[in-house]
Amino acid sequence: MDNKIENDPFSQTDSILASALSEKVKYLSNLNDSIKNGNDLKVYELMDPNRFATEVKGEQADQPQTNFFSLAADLKAQLSHHLSDKLIDYLGTTYPFFYYHEYDLGKFNIYFGNWWDHRMFGELDAINVRFNFAKDEYNTLAKSFELEAQNKRVNDDQMRELGQKNEKLTQLIEDQAKRDQRKEEIRKQIKENEEKSPMPWEAGKVKEEHQQLQNALLDLTNVDEQASGARAEIKKNENEILALSKEETIYNLEKQNIRASFGSFEAFIENNNNLYAKYLQSLSKESQVTDGE
Amino acid sequence: MSNENTETEKNVLTTTQLLNHYAQSIQTGLDNGSKYVNAFTSLNTTQDLNELLTAAVSLTNYQLNSDFVEFPHQFSDEDVQLIFFARLLKLSDNVDGLSISNSEHVQKLLAKFSSLGDNTFTFTKSTKNAAGFFFGPTAHNRPLFYLNLKSKEMMFHSSALIDYFVVDMEGLEVSALKQAINVIMRAAEVLKESFGFKIDFNVLDGVNGEFYEFAAGAIPEPILDELFVKSADNQYILMSGENGGASLTLDNDTQLNVYNAGDEDRPKWGATIHDQDQKESWLNLLLDYPFIKDWYLDNKKQLEILSNKFIFG
Repeated sequence: MDNKIENDPFSQTDSILASALSEKVKYLSNLNDSIKNGNDLKVYELMDPNRFATEVKGEQADQPQTNFFSLAADLKAQLSHHLSDKLIDYLGTTYPFFYYHEYDLGKFNIYFGNWWDHRMFGELDAINVRFNFAKDEYNTLAKSFELEAQNKRVNDDQMRELGQKNEKLTQLIEDQAKRDQRKEEIRKQIKENEEKSPMPWEAGKVKEEHQQLQNALLDLTNVDEQASGARAEIKKNENEILALSKEETIYNLEKQNIRASFGSFEAFIENNNNLYAKYLQSLSKESQVTDGE
Repeated sequence: MSNENTETEKNVLTTTQLLNHYAQSIQTGLDNGSKYVNAFTSLNTTQDLNELLTAAVSLTNYQLNSDFVEFPHQFSDEDVQLIFFARLLKLSDNVDGLSISNSEHVQKLLAKFSSLGDNTFTFTKSTKNAAGFFFGPTAHNRPLFYLNLKSKEMMFHSSALIDYFVVDMEGLEVSALKQAINVIMRAAEVLKESFGFKIDFNVLDGVNGEFYEFAAGAIPEPILDELFVKSADNQYILMSGENGGASLTLDNDTQLNVYNAGDEDRPKWGATIHDQDQKESWLNLLLDYPFIKDWYLDNKKQLEILSNKFIFG
């Protein structure tokens, strides 16, 4: 045995190993106690001591602290489930327009609002105290805020286009009688044209005129065909306009709610970016109040 | 031939018998007439609700003429129903709500609601049931309700009520329309309370939780999208509800719920209304909120509220 130690180039002693192990045991038992005591603040500190130090305590860490969280990393789902309880309570007052659905252990979908056809807006990361917003949904909201400043809406162009299409289609239907009259005239002209027995030098001109009349008639019947499908097309466009105005109604409600809670979209973003610190500071205040009692 | 003649001659009545028979027949006809007059007088003057109903029932389908006595001036069965209806209201403290407007015209009496101007209303006999009558505006052949005094039934026709009060009468003060509706409601309540009539209030029912069933069964999502957009335009927010349904909180905490009371395979969509006083009915809602009315009329085919198919079909 002695010989072996002398030959060990790493100067490992059992006491070093034992103390390393006992630190780990201590870590896990700390984590366990914090969970048992409902001390979520401590749990967050244990899960990421470096982030906690800089963001919550505002310390400039020279030396990063050892992070033992890998020991419990496979329990993230369970921890998330546990931590979500208080976090969602907190978010309920700061972000009253978000609703959460735990679709799998510790995994939460965020819904924006509880109005008709509310949007699924991403996921809540309870471990990192962070919203992972769905990109498309978030970007549309951002765009809606941006366009609002210019008095515009996200779906304006599309809605205008559909509206114009419907105006044209309605006109096509309304003009049916006019077209019928015009076709009658052309048919009469064609008949007259066909009854002509032109001089040889005029034959070309008469033939050309015949062709022109035929073309004009064909054009009109083509328009008739469009008009015959117009009602269905109008209905289809109306449904699309309805779907688009529904979307706009939803964006409006989202914007209203953000403004009611934060004043502006920028303030909302700012708050999201500092959510970790804000939440844990509020937990810390709470625990001080309880300690004081 | 000669044999038969002898047979008949044997049975021929004596002159006295014949004249007696004649006198008796006239007397029976006159008795029948005075019975009619008694009932008619009762219908017109009694102060007692039970007597009023008895008189109206006995006068309905009354065979007044006989072979020997005929009365040239008779009120029709429809007239009897209208006189009954007007007097029922008078006896129930609703003196001015409805009145018969042309009592000098025997055979076709018309009624007017004090709040609805010159619009007249009348009863029409059901073709399916001699004791059943439809009440509706004279100008249209659309019954607002069905009344059968004999079987003690009264049923409201939802889409006709909506067509009349919401569409045809558009532009008239909502309070005037409600006043007329209240007159009809009052009559229905008296019939129910005093005689135990079976009443199907349908779209007039203000009791919380009354289910107004939509004709379409299944309601496609765009229809609710439209309600959502129209509500938001009017500063109300349609919330998502249970089972893919939706709910809308209106003024004074009145709540409108639209949902599927059936299941996915057998959808049965409809609406309920909850309000503190249990007074808001579907018809009132359409009158009070123009955007709900527009929504209903845009999608009438699907949203029409069902009525008794057997009676009105």
